[in-house]
Amino acid sequence: MADVSLQGVAKSFGATEILRDINLAVKDGEFVVFVGPSGCGKSTLLRIIAGLENVSGGEIRIGDKRVNELPPADRKIAMVFQSYALYPHMNVYKNMAFGLKFAKTNKAEVDRRVRQAAEILKLTPLLDRKPRELSGGQRQRVAIGRAIVRNPSVFLFDEPLSNLDAALRVNTRLEIAKLHRDLGATMIYVTHDQVEAMTLASKIVVMNHGRIEQVGAPLELYRHPRNLFVAGFIGSPRMNFIKGQVLRVEGNIATIGFAGTEAPLAVRPASLKPGDAVTVGIRPEHMEEGGDDAASLRGTIDAVEQLGESSYVYMRLASGDDVIVRAPGETDAAPGGSYTAHVPRKALHVFDAEGVSVLAERG
Amino acid sequence: MTDLTATSVQRADAVPVRARFPVHIAVFLAPALAIYTLFSIYPLIDTIRLSLYAGDETGARSFVGFQNFQTLLGDPNWSGHFWNALRNNLIFFAIHMVVQNGIGLGLAMLLSLPRLAGGSVYRTLIFLPTMLSVVIIGFIWQLILNPLWGIAPSLLKAVGLGSLFGPWLGQESTALLTVSLISVWQFVGIPMMLIYAALLNIPDDLLDAATVDGAGPFSVFWFVRLPLILPTLGVVSILTFVANFNAFDLIYAIKGALAGPNFSTDILGTFFYRTFFGFQLQVGSPTMGAAVATAMLIIILIGVLIYLFGVQRRLQRHTF
Repeated sequence: MADVSLQGVAKSFGATEILRDINLAVKDGEFVVFVGPSGCGKSTLLRIIAGLENVSGGEIRIGDKRVNELPPADRKIAMVFQSYALYPHMNVYKNMAFGLKFAKTNKAEVDRRVRQAAEILKLTPLLDRKPRELSGGQRQRVAIGRAIVRNPSVFLFDEPLSNLDAALRVNTRLEIAKLHRDLGATMIYVTHDQVEAMTLASKIVVMNHGRIEQVGAPLELYRHPRNLFVAGFIGSPRMNFIKGQVLRVEGNIATIGFAGTEAPLAVRPASLKPGDAVTVGIRPEHMEEGGDDAASLRGTIDAVEQLGESSYVYMRLASGDDVIVRAPGETDAAPGGSYTAHVPRKALHVFDAEGVSVLAERG
Repeated sequence: MTDLTATSVQRADAVPVRARFPVHIAVFLAPALAIYTLFSIYPLIDTIRLSLYAGDETGARSFVGFQNFQTLLGDPNWSGHFWNALRNNLIFFAIHMVVQNGIGLGLAMLLSLPRLAGGSVYRTLIFLPTMLSVVIIGFIWQLILNPLWGIAPSLLKAVGLGSLFGPWLGQESTALLTVSLISVWQFVGIPMMLIYAALLNIPDDLLDAATVDGAGPFSVFWFVRLPLILPTLGVVSILTFVANFNAFDLIYAIKGALAGPNFSTDILGTFFYRTFFGFQLQVGSPTMGAAVATAMLIIILIGVLIYLFGVQRRLQRHTF
């Protein structure tokens, strides 16, 4: 069990900067998910923690020890790879016992640990099988078993679910969550899937272009995205962004005009002045069908996707902005028609020209 | 329901009609079959047939059964040369297996290092001799190793090892080894390329996983990479075996058909050449030559069969 801390970690391949100035503290027992679009450096960061990549600068600490110079095996970590990376020529038992061979564990102890892990993961009947005789989900469990037997302080997962089909993914997700509860170990998990991030994480790290955009609990990121990137990345379908302008500022209240309507909002002091261009964000699920007041958006419907329990209405506003609204499942909206959606004021997000949220902290 | 039943009955009927002779398969196979038959299968069978005959001075041939083989293995004039050639050939093969394939494996490992700069240049350079004519290789090495005006003695002298030099190609004790090493030098690119391709095929994740598991570079090689390239090593071995037991050209280019000194570099190929075509005082005998060729065929066949049934069945190809 151990904390993980990264201080000023940077990585570049030649002239290409992959990561710059990453500072992050992971507390003992936390489930931290790195999430971000592909190429954002999240996998590289995980490999740096694992010791599979060297850093160009900064310090990595696991527990109370600086591990920059330690080889992966001495960092008390275990890693689960996206491709599972099982040794194809060894059976399940040997796959799981492989790491212990180098840790000079005695035979009886190896056997005990492998069988215990197999028991936890329901792999006992499969111990003699070769990886190619296993299904994708079983291979995944062997990969996790290989990590468990090493009894690591920190588990590292590199997109472990992306090779599984949808149903299995949900199942395995739950199993990993349960594993985290049972083992209580620190886990660091990389994914590009925000559903995995939201459901598994006790703390999400949103990354983009080699930088950390925001760190926080899943709901905190959902409710208070610090900038446009996080706002757009967390939530599905993504948050609607509408161009707007600051009309008036009175104390901490700025009145924002957008898409033919206006809304007074509490913002951080001195963050905006009249005439500033801003981006207004509103999540599809926070808009309500109907309503015909000053705080409504009107437009023509481009498309309607019916999912049963809800419908997504794609509409184009008179201002030219495209907006998605989550409407009830039995909506009458049809392509070509006109549509009105009510925008609750307290669900609005406002970002300044640099894309940084200017909303005052909400209670 | 009735419709369904009707269809299935029709299908069942249709099967025997469709199972007529597959003309298209025969058409596609015909060109290859014709060429192989003409240039490979027919000569092979005719060679075996010829090995059962003996010719007299007039050129008339008569069927003698296995007498040629009895001569080959029993007559001291023949058997000494035959066993000598076979023994030399086995040594030739052993040197290739150990040195050529060992170095090929090592080079492939070096080439697959992720941080290696100029890997493709080395790859090309090491593979280059393979594409040269054996005659040229033999000629060049004869020049290099020539004790009178070759560059090997002066090169060795330049680094202070002049005393180690000997007329390696001319001594009975070293000629076979020297010729083998020249062949190794020429063909080391082939195992290197095959093994290199197999190594590239191993996903990086697997090596990373082993590293995280605590395996050092040597353990990663021994426990992960080597087992995964075993099938390729098997193929390399059998290719080496077949090529070595069919070898002839390099020895002929360097030492001539007499494979001197005193037959110390004589292998089955050169032995066959002298037997079949004759050389200097020896009169060529097509029928004895055919017997030697058949013996070579049998030896190679035994080797390949041992490989196919003894080794390859145990090797598993791994998909990643």
